[in-house]
Amino acid sequence: MSTNFLNRIMVALYSNPWVKKRWSQNFNALETDMIPWTPLQKPLSQCKIALLTTGGVHLKNDKPFDMEDKNGDPTYRKIPSTAVQEDITITHKYYNHSDADKDINLVLPLDILRDVQQEGLVGESAEFFYSFMGHIDKHHIKTLVEQTAKDVAHQIKQEKVDIAVLVPA
Amino acid sequence: MCNQTVGLVQREIETQGISTVGVSIVREISEKVKPPRTYFLKYPFGHALGEPFNKKQQVTIFKECLKVLESAQKPGVIVDSPYRWRKHRFN
Repeated sequence: MSTNFLNRIMVALYSNPWVKKRWSQNFNALETDMIPWTPLQKPLSQCKIALLTTGGVHLKNDKPFDMEDKNGDPTYRKIPSTAVQEDITITHKYYNHSDADKDINLVLPLDILRDVQQEGLVGESAEFFYSFMGHIDKHHIKTLVEQTAKDVAHQIKQEKVDIAVLVPA
Repeated sequence: MCNQTVGLVQREIETQGISTVGVSIVREISEKVKPPRTYFLKYPFGHALGEPFNKKQQVTIFKECLKVLESAQKPGVIVDSPYRWRKHRFN
């Protein structure tokens, strides 16, 4: 049986709410007591915003995420905040993204943010948004926490972003 | 795992002095990873903002996340969404 076939079965299985619940109860997540905290500094309408996703989203002409390494890929992709659905694709074999392929807003709410900005609820967008492929395990978690996530955080700070909204797959 | 990754990235961004909110669809993982602010929905993988092309639903959920940014008073807050998957009608 091919690995891809097995993977498809697993993805289908985890779409079941009961299986998802059982899995999450046993998931050995990184635990911590310290929680970082930055109070909101100004009204949302004046806040510069960045979006982030872990849905494996990237520009069609960018390098896809690595699907060969079973521990995942801790790298990230930059997506211009002006991007539209047609510019974008998803490389992530650990969830069923057939709906998100059709409507990218499910994992990266580009159009939704524009609507909310038109209403004046939130300020301008950062130049770039960021995407990870959330299936990250073992030694790649260290790379994520100590390198790539920090790198993204620094870039967002340099852009003078005030708020960030993060969306999982 | 995506929910763990969101939480870990979120924590790094908050550490840099940016206020963050993360959507979660797996509450147990958010409780362990402890992102600063979480909006939790009992939605399936790949559907954190809801159903495809259901703009009213997606806008509502996005605005709820923004509300968490405004209202959260202490680190680690998890707000449970009242919107049940395919049960709530968004009009």
